[in-house]
Amino acid sequence: MNLVGAVNEGLRQAMAEDPRVLVLGEDVGVNGGVFRATEGLYKEFGPDRVVDTPLAELGIVGASVGLAINGMRPVCEIQFDGFLPTVMDQVICHMGRMRNRTRGRYSIPMVLRAPHGGLVHAPEHHSESPEAYFCHTPGIKVVCPSTPEDAKGLMIAAVRDPDPVVYFEPKALYRAAKGAVPSGPYETPIGKARLAREGSELSFVSWGAMVYTCLRAAELLAERGVSAEVLDLRTLTPVDIEALLGTAEKTGRVVIAHEAPNAGSWAAELSSLIHERAMLKLKAPVRRVGSWDIRMPLFRLEKYYIPDARRLVRAAEESLAF
Amino acid sequence: MSLRTVAESRVQRLEVLGENGKADPSVDPKLSPEILLKMYRTMVEIRAFDEIAFKLQRQGRLGTYPQILGQEATQVVPALALEPKDWLVPTYRGQGAYFARGMKLRYSLLYWGGDDRGVHFPEETNDLIFAIPVGSHLTQAAGLAWASKLKKDGAAALAYLGDGASSKGDLHEALTFAGAFKLPVIYLIENNHWAISVPRERQAACETLAQKAWGYGVCGLQVDGNDALAVWRAVSEALDCARSGGGATLLECETYRLGHHTTADDATRYRPAAEVEAWKRKDPVLRLKAYLEGRGLWDERRDADLRARAQEMIAEEVRAYEAFPPPNPLDMFANNYARAPWALIEQRAELEKILRESRDLEEVASLPPPEGRFP
Repeated sequence: MNLVGAVNEGLRQAMAEDPRVLVLGEDVGVNGGVFRATEGLYKEFGPDRVVDTPLAELGIVGASVGLAINGMRPVCEIQFDGFLPTVMDQVICHMGRMRNRTRGRYSIPMVLRAPHGGLVHAPEHHSESPEAYFCHTPGIKVVCPSTPEDAKGLMIAAVRDPDPVVYFEPKALYRAAKGAVPSGPYETPIGKARLAREGSELSFVSWGAMVYTCLRAAELLAERGVSAEVLDLRTLTPVDIEALLGTAEKTGRVVIAHEAPNAGSWAAELSSLIHERAMLKLKAPVRRVGSWDIRMPLFRLEKYYIPDARRLVRAAEESLAF
Repeated sequence: MSLRTVAESRVQRLEVLGENGKADPSVDPKLSPEILLKMYRTMVEIRAFDEIAFKLQRQGRLGTYPQILGQEATQVVPALALEPKDWLVPTYRGQGAYFARGMKLRYSLLYWGGDDRGVHFPEETNDLIFAIPVGSHLTQAAGLAWASKLKKDGAAALAYLGDGASSKGDLHEALTFAGAFKLPVIYLIENNHWAISVPRERQAACETLAQKAWGYGVCGLQVDGNDALAVWRAVSEALDCARSGGGATLLECETYRLGHHTTADDATRYRPAAEVEAWKRKDPVLRLKAYLEGRGLWDERRDADLRARAQEMIAEEVRAYEAFPPPNPLDMFANNYARAPWALIEQRAELEKILRESRDLEEVASLPPPEGRFP
């Protein structure tokens, strides 16, 4: 099963087990989503539970907040990562704060889904990596799977979670990532990382499509006799602090890789955590490898913008030579 | 205490051409042959371009492309009605508007081919780059018009939006500003009835989108958007109103997206073929052609000649598009700030080093020198 199929199956099983779950967004119903993530759900669950909304992203998220307060379990979709900035008003001012502002009276058990990342030759504003804006926001959880098995398990966990979860779907992996997926409902626990490759001399830490770039870089390093491991965070916040510090302390050299620009990225927070809590185990400063601190260019230059395996190897070599 | 009516609104609809191309003389703007022929020629050219761009995408020679098939009148005619000093604020489905303003089609191909050099407007017109996040340009158009009002330069702003974008809060805020400050701005809804797969009926419960104007104290009018003469007349009158201090207008031009949302979409999944066929009978290009023939301005021989010349012009644009050398990756770093900060200077140097060391050295060596302003 590919990753978009796993998202679909996770949604279907979450809807089947809980009648409060509804899916809403632009083109999610009759059309099955522009990536087909909600394919077949409209037919199976009907127009009251799989809802084509008007074209109004802020309305989709604000209405989901209201639906969640009043007992529903909305899973809303924002069609592209580049359309997320407009919803931040609801995310920051309400979705992440409602439980605390109301002293626990109201909670927001909702999921906000959006595709994530580049390298699919998409138009402008369709290849963004805005996770840091969300991770910076208190009161929400942020996940980003890289395998079909985790995509399904995290979807079910996100829908069942009592708090708002932002669920990023790496669009480069929708059809490219394939793997076995257990047939029944199951949870991939939120807050737990996955060791995607074991190694001893250097650690790559990443999420989403960049995990595969890290695996390629680890292969290239292996050819040079360097043993690198790859930690797939799966959950960006709350981050799996044991796994993060565990790999940092084990190898002493960490390269954090992602598609977003470097300045103020989530890697900056992860790097700080490692330095604050494991500095004496480090053999080199933690390296961050993100995109350049400029906006995502149109697609002909995206391969020069988003880090590739060679850029990761360069950073690893600098870390090893420190 | 009483219950009484304190305000009433009405919604009017403007139609000039019938489906047979016959004009209603009471509303015919009686345009000069020169304007009529330019309108028709531009509509024919952009339709031919649209067809070729679609094929280029299918052949892998172009990225995702948004067709305008069926919307030629709402695309081209408003842009032709503007003066160069007026601000054109299109949507991403705006290549027809840019073309009507004088932008060469090679740049539309370049943009949808994933190359930032495709953003290339004529020097002499005020054209804004379109916004891809739907509706986010609408308040900007209010600001453009506001500045023109403050500067007293006599210019107006014309912003396009779709029926989908009319659902966004942006339109509410834009019309609020336009009304409150009596701004010289026109919001032109190209109601093509489909926001990807979501029909117009799902966007708003009101019978027309034109009536939204009423809530903001601006003028509203529904227009047959497949009727080039009606569109011309509505836009011209809205421009007169804007220039004479009368404030903003919201025009709902009813048209139809005959193609897919973009080349990445498959419209057959969600809409009935019969609906598409019914709209084909209201074809804006054919209706204007019939009108021109009725006025003795046009015939089949001239039409065949125009179409042949359009094909030649577009073939030349495609050649020019494909003859552009690949973009230089270092161009990404230009024009991010008036003066680049240290981080960008460092990062550009790093990319330059990577390019020099890369195994794609041959590709890199063939690149043109970087363009644009840096640092």
